[in-house]
Parts: sequence; C-alpha cells; structure tokens
Amino acid sequence: MSLLNRLRLSAHLDDAALAAIWTDGRPSHPHLSTCAACRVRFAEFSAWLENMRVDAITEADEHFSAERLVAQQAQIFRRLEAAERPARVIAFPKFTQPLTSRSSHASRWIAAAAAAGLMVGVGVGQLMDLRHSLTVSNSAAVQTRVADAPAGARRDARVQTISGTRDEAFLSELDASLSRPAVPELRALDAFTPRAGDRAR
Amino acid sequence: MTGAQATGLAGREADSVAASAVKAMQAEGRHSEARERYAELVGRHQRRASRIAFHYMRDVAEADEAVQDAFVKAYSHLASFREELPFEVWFTRILINGCLDRIKARTRRERWIAPMPDGPAGERDFGERVAGRGPSPEDQLLARERRKRLAGALARLPERQRSVFMLSHYEGCTSREVSVLTGLNESTVRVHLFRAIRKLRTLLADIPSAERRVEKRHVTP
Repeated sequence: MSLLNRLRLSAHLDDAALAAIWTDGRPSHPHLSTCAACRVRFAEFSAWLENMRVDAITEADEHFSAERLVAQQAQIFRRLEAAERPARVIAFPKFTQPLTSRSSHASRWIAAAAAAGLMVGVGVGQLMDLRHSLTVSNSAAVQTRVADAPAGARRDARVQTISGTRDEAFLSELDASLSRPAVPELRALDAFTPRAGDRAR
Repeated sequence: MTGAQATGLAGREADSVAASAVKAMQAEGRHSEARERYAELVGRHQRRASRIAFHYMRDVAEADEAVQDAFVKAYSHLASFREELPFEVWFTRILINGCLDRIKARTRRERWIAPMPDGPAGERDFGERVAGRGPSPEDQLLARERRKRLAGALARLPERQRSVFMLSHYEGCTSREVSVLTGLNESTVRVHLFRAIRKLRTLLADIPSAERRVEKRHVTP
C-alpha cells in the first residue's frame, strides 16, 4: 500500500466522505473498520438522515389521515364515473305558457284582415283587367275609323294607342309616314315611283 | 432477499395482474367492473402517492388534487401501460410530472398575484389549529420548526437533486427505479443524491449558527 493511500486511510472522514459512503449504501469503508470516532460520526450521520425521513413521512401521514384517503378515493371514482358517462344534453329552456296564444282575439283579427286583404286584392285585379280590355277595344275602333277615312284624312290621322297591339300601331304609323314623304325635294321622285297598288290596278 | 423486498415483489406482481385485468375490462366495455378492480390499485398506492405529492407540493389541498388527477389520468391511459414496467413506477412518473406542472403553474401565479397572509400561527387550515391527542404543544412546535427548516432546505435544492433525494430517501426507491422515474442515468442519480445530501447537511447545519449570530447581534449593545 502506498504512503498516499495509507495517509488517506488514516485521515478522519469528513461530511462529504460520509455522504459518499452512505450514498453507496455500503458502510464498509476501510477507515470505518479501524476508526471508532468515524464509525460514531457515520452512525450519527445515518441517524440524522433517518430522522429526516421519518419526520417527513410522519408529517405527510398526519396531513393524509385515513378519513381523508377514503374521501380522496371516493372523489377519484366519482370523477372516473363522470368521465365515462356520456355527455348529458340539456334541453333548450321552454316557456310553460307560450308567449302568443293561438286562440287569442288578436290572431283572429290578423286572420280576418289577411282574408279581407286578399279579397280586395282579387277585386281590384279584376277591375284593372276589365279596364285594360276596354282600352284595347277602343283602339280597335280608332283603327277601323282610320281605315274608313279618305286618303288625305288618312295621311293626317294620327293613331294614338295607349297600349294595344304595338305591332299594329307601329305598322300603321310607318304606313302613314311612307305615304307622305316629309322631304320636299324627294316629292318629285316619289311621284314618278310606281306603287304596288297601282300595278295591281 | 429481505422480507420487505419479497413483499414489494409480490405487490408488484399483484399490481401487474390487476392492471392487466382492468385494461382487458376497459377494452371489453365492462367499465363498472374495471373501476371496481382499479380500486384495488388505488388502495395500494394511495398513501404513498399522497406522501410524494405532499413532499413536492408542500400543500395538502394541492397534493390531494395532484393525486386525484394522477389516478384519473392513469386509469384513462391504462391502454398505453406496458407490463414490462412496474405499475408503481409508471404511475409515480405520471404523479411526479403532474406535481411538477402544478409547481410551475403555482410559481407563475405567485409571480403575479400577491399571496394571502397566513393565520396568526402560520397555518393555512383551521383544522390544523385544533388541539389533538398526540404530542404536547411544545413538541408539536419543535417538530413544526424542524420540518419547516427541512422543507426550506429542500426547497433550496435544484429540482433534480430534490426529486432524486425524495424518491431515494423518503420513498426508498433504488437508483435504478429513480433512473426510470426521472429519466436520468443510474450513476447520475447517485451523484445527485450525494450532492443533495451534502447540500442539505450544509444548509441545515448553517441555520442554527446563523440564528446564533443574529441572537448575538441583538444582545450586543
């Protein structure tokens, strides 16, 4: 054994060395077997740690009594049961009495007013249709009068239809404008031009 | 093999059997039976879990909640439990992670919210002030002071050292078990344990001398 090792073994153990021996869990250090003082210190050191452990466990056990553990277990199982239960669907809140009663007077009045409105609407619609048909028959009478009138009067006649058959009004207007050229310079030319009616005659 | 070790081994086997049975029942949809069987596991580990949680949280209500959360979480994630790892180790890991999360949340809260002042005796709960049939008030006071000092010293340890110390020393876990629980190397676990003990020794030895210094200063005119 070297001198250094012998010196190391003869020196007393400090706290760090005691902690290292305790951590290793093997209190078989060569110095401990030879030095009674260090053996006593190591025993004190171990007792200090053991007291600390007992103290800590006692404190925790004081706080967690048997009743508290029973309550804790009950709470754990309540939570487990709640987690496994399917989610409860809460119904949307309903009024015990509906805000508007179907048999109330107001609803009856509303229904009656709606029916009356409908009837008035149908009546007005019928009247409008009648007026329209009257207008159409008037314009037909005007056209008949225009056709019966002489050519000069026919040229001046202005067919004024309010609605009527638009095509007929347009054609008659076109006919009237063609029968009398508006441009004076073209009148001579127009006079020489033969008409379809002339050829047929 | 010691008697305690044999008991521990038997307990682990029983845990493994119970956990497998609960898992199978859950898979078959027999939930009420699964819960009944799970009660066996809860009963076996509840006290130990409460101790661990209390040592981490230093608050009874929070420790209680952390234990409840851990058991509920373990039950709902039992399908991911592998039988090659002891149930005790797997569950303790869930519990410790939950406690650490709670401590983080509490630290954040305390940073922004002023704490409520304690009662005249420094207790949080009225129930704690009610006289019991145990040791004398003087002994209780001394024990409370001692625990307070120890808790203060433990709180000054780095998180890993504190975890390793509590699991190894308070809960009697082996270096291998602590290694599985904390995810540290076995040799690192031993180093952390050694450092934790040394630091605790220094901190707890320093307090009386510091108190004496303060007393001297008061006495000196």
